[in-house]
Amino acid sequence: MKVILSAIILFFALHLKAQETSTLSGYVSNGENGETVIGAKVFIPKIRKGTITNNDGFYSLTVPEGIYIVEFRAGGIKIETKTIDLSTDVRLDKVVGGNLQNIKEVVVSANAEQNVKSTKIGQLELSINEIKTLPAFMGEVDIIKTIQLLPGVSSAAEGGQGFYVRGGGPDQNLVLLDEAVVYNASHLFGFFSVFNADAVKGVSLIKGGMPANFGGRMSSVLEVKMNNGNSKKLGIKGGIGAISSRITIQGPFKKNKGSFIISGRRTYLGLIMKAAIPESSPFSGSRCHFFDLNLKMKYEITKKDKLFFSSYYGKDDFSFSNLDDNFLVEMPWGNGVAALRWSHIFSSKLFMNLNTTLTDYKFSFSSSQDEFRFSLNSGIRDYGAKIDFTYFPSSNLKVKFGLDYIYHTFTPMSSSAENDDTSFDTGIAQSLYSHESAAYLLNEFDLNENIRVNAGLRYSTFQHVGPFTRYVNGDISTPDTLIEYRNGELIKFYHGLEPRLSLRWLLPDNSSIKAGYTYNYQYVHLTSLSAVSLPTDVWYPSTDKAKPQKGWQLSLGYFRNFIENKIETSVELYYKGMKNLIEYKEGSLPNDNIQDNTDNLLVFGNGWSYGIELFIKKRIGKLTGWLGYTLSKTERRFKDLNDGEPFAAKYDRRHDLSVVASYKINNRWLISGAFIYATGNTLTLPKSWYVQNQSLLFNYGKRNSTRMSPYHRLDISATWYGKEYKDKIDIETGKVIQVKKKLRTNIAISIYNLYNRANPYFLYIDKDGKLLSGDLEMKVKQVTLLPIIPGVTWNFEF
Amino acid sequence: MRQAFPILFSILLIITSCTKEVNIDLPEHIAELVVDGTIETNKNPIVLLSRSADIYASTDISSYLSYFVLDAEVKVICNEDTTELSLFTISELPIESQEKLAEMLRLNNLNELQELPLLVYSSIDLIGEVNNTYELSILFNGKNYNGKTKILEPTALDALYWELEPGTIEYGYSWAILSDPANQFDGYKWEVKRTNLNFDGLPKDDIFKRARGGTFNDQFFDGMTFDFFFENPMKRKDSTHLLEYKRYYRFGDTVVVKFSKMDEAVYEFMENKYTQLSTAGNPFATPINIPSNITGGALGVWAGYSPTLDTLICQP
Repeated sequence: MKVILSAIILFFALHLKAQETSTLSGYVSNGENGETVIGAKVFIPKIRKGTITNNDGFYSLTVPEGIYIVEFRAGGIKIETKTIDLSTDVRLDKVVGGNLQNIKEVVVSANAEQNVKSTKIGQLELSINEIKTLPAFMGEVDIIKTIQLLPGVSSAAEGGQGFYVRGGGPDQNLVLLDEAVVYNASHLFGFFSVFNADAVKGVSLIKGGMPANFGGRMSSVLEVKMNNGNSKKLGIKGGIGAISSRITIQGPFKKNKGSFIISGRRTYLGLIMKAAIPESSPFSGSRCHFFDLNLKMKYEITKKDKLFFSSYYGKDDFSFSNLDDNFLVEMPWGNGVAALRWSHIFSSKLFMNLNTTLTDYKFSFSSSQDEFRFSLNSGIRDYGAKIDFTYFPSSNLKVKFGLDYIYHTFTPMSSSAENDDTSFDTGIAQSLYSHESAAYLLNEFDLNENIRVNAGLRYSTFQHVGPFTRYVNGDISTPDTLIEYRNGELIKFYHGLEPRLSLRWLLPDNSSIKAGYTYNYQYVHLTSLSAVSLPTDVWYPSTDKAKPQKGWQLSLGYFRNFIENKIETSVELYYKGMKNLIEYKEGSLPNDNIQDNTDNLLVFGNGWSYGIELFIKKRIGKLTGWLGYTLSKTERRFKDLNDGEPFAAKYDRRHDLSVVASYKINNRWLISGAFIYATGNTLTLPKSWYVQNQSLLFNYGKRNSTRMSPYHRLDISATWYGKEYKDKIDIETGKVIQVKKKLRTNIAISIYNLYNRANPYFLYIDKDGKLLSGDLEMKVKQVTLLPIIPGVTWNFEF
Repeated sequence: MRQAFPILFSILLIITSCTKEVNIDLPEHIAELVVDGTIETNKNPIVLLSRSADIYASTDISSYLSYFVLDAEVKVICNEDTTELSLFTISELPIESQEKLAEMLRLNNLNELQELPLLVYSSIDLIGEVNNTYELSILFNGKNYNGKTKILEPTALDALYWELEPGTIEYGYSWAILSDPANQFDGYKWEVKRTNLNFDGLPKDDIFKRARGGTFNDQFFDGMTFDFFFENPMKRKDSTHLLEYKRYYRFGDTVVVKFSKMDEAVYEFMENKYTQLSTAGNPFATPINIPSNITGGALGVWAGYSPTLDTLICQP
């Protein structure tokens, strides 16, 4: 608390001093497409003061009045040097380069320097260009699979989209698409990400040291920023792949003022299945496919006001039919998110973002056999608003403050069952309503030349309100009762302070030590009956029974860059504690939710995780890539599970290694590879079998007491680029000049799991035959999901 | 929803078709006592005792028989009367107990039972009565195990009927009307056997068999009166019963329906047992240990049933 108070006092002190200063501010954008540039550096060598552009490409640098030589630069590349008279405030919007390649390097280098100099700890950023150079599963560039290659992040299972950060559960990751929450970021049971890489500008992951402007989740923030669209000219790009195709159209709807980007993607797995399953087969009605659509529009109302509209809509459709049994299962699910943002510059020192968001997630399951029909629906709808101010009183101080609000509607389980003309009583369709809000303040300031502090405080509240029906389950002697809550009636109120602190101590030799502490409340939970992450998992809010999850994390790291920031390295230690984690009671069944509240079936416990992460990254040059290694331990303890004894979390991994490399052979060829090694996941397998009524039954051992064999694989890819430029004779000079070709193409060939490693997806006991017949056989079997899989995609742009 | 898990599991296996046997370290196993006991109205108790076995243990018939426990002291206590159960060979059991044992072992007929070299704990001095609670007490290897079960007041079906399936000329499901008692837990079991004669002059079925989904409770229909149907669970024995109609009863079949009630602990065991059977090893479901109603660390169940019998003649 003392640090926060110091920060506030310092804030006012510096603010008073700011009377004799002037501010240089503006946007930095890419001259080729008008996209704002994130992370470009504005630096004044004379006084050694500088800043970098924020997520909107905006910068603000307040310095003592004077005439300065200002550099717009990044790493080794100086874009421009300009003498500026800062006797008054100056607004300077900088358009950098026309060469996209330079811009990429600019951004990359700026970020590399930040590795050492920023207060960010446990934060990683990836440009979409970096992601696109890596091997793609079945030719589909996948943001989340790339995130899973970073230290401290592990995948839920082979091919899965669920990810675990530093021992936290998959529900503890705040996934944001342009500030709108995405609850289920996967397609096709998790094999593909919902994020279409063509529509994405950049990705950042915060796995520790979460700043106070983010909250609601305990483990990480995955921020995905969509492209704003090309405000200079119309462009089309797309790709045709083995299982899906995509197309993106972008351009100005009002030149230099308004731009749009629309991007769509669709699989043709359904067609492949249709071809593969003959019409005579009882399974011929089965289908499986997904599509998604991204749209973003940007409009510059004035020099100080911009409007952004982002939206995503995606749907998966899965059905399985067995005509022999007159049996049909249908399982459609999908996400829709939309965000409307107004960014406004009040002054050269005060920047604001006002964001309204809508998130809609729906999942449904229905099955029918003969006259019996059963259906189940779950979903979430969020309406959110966030106002965020950034104040730059001086070059040494940045202040952020704001308010955040979400109105949640959760429908964890709504079911119906019919048998011919009879409708069964499956209880009241339960929706749960809640208000989640927060206020935050964070200051980033220099204590001295070497020590920089990012101190923040977030105050969050959560109200569970009616209408709601509480099932109070009686014991054998007392009947169950119902408590009805009226519309808007307060059922439970939670609130708490969430302090956040990050420190950076700059050392000689381009190195630093950083430390971070975060405390988070999480008011939503993901309940899962399955061992793998699936759309059947149900989100559930905090209630009077299900208390908010609470987590704290302490991290300490040493960061050092080498060879003019071309190589960045870090070693981070962390310890994370978690309270009020949820699991289903042992023996819970999917239909237990019916005529009951889901939280009556839950048990609550604690968890902890600790580890060390090593990261070496080469950002620039022909050879780029990274090596990440994590040594960690993650455990859980629930009073009502595993006899109250601690047990390994299912994704507890002692070792996790990833090596990622891309090599640019020349302007036409780029090759890349990724190698992953991880300790096997844990699972619960039987320790013995027994017989009752001639049924062979299992007696399971301690929770997660079996460990699968290690996971490892190597993916490779090669990308061939068509010529980007062609020779043309300049009519005026008669010289041969190079002009960009209208149609630019590349072909990406990738091989997933090159050496065809049979990685374990799960294990099960296979039993065949009958005991009394004497032909019973029992074996432990391993299921492998993804063998060697080649992929090819033709990408085009014009 | 439960049926979705095996489906997803099957689809996954079909899609991947990539499974292999592996040898991994499993949790340490210590053999536990397994109780498979039952008592129902007007029948003697039957108790099979065995030990659980290691996953990698041998599963041939002689190994299986060696897992049976034959040196335990087994008693049943009811209304302060204690009856000691002793070991019986199959042939020593009364015919009703043999039929019950054949049902428990899910055999096709009594002949199969005669071939089994089994010894079971029973007593001809004790007969199950409605509304009595029976406590099973076992002393084995110096350790006591106890379980209680009650034979509940039965609920008879209001009616049984057979309805010709549209599009067929002689096949249909068995239908029933049930008035479920309100405001109480009711767990039911539906078993059938056909008693009309086969071509060989013998009844079509010797023993009762549980229908698919034939163990259910009144969670969704507490206090309601409603019609429901069950498929024919019996194997298609005669070639004139067309394969595509194997789940139907045939015009002229005489079906004896044994509709039993059980207490909540027994139902819990059965419900979890069938769930485990349908989901075991399935990654989409959590592993379920089946809750036993025997204290002392034993596995299995001591189950009391109160059946009512009704006959359905399959004609419109």
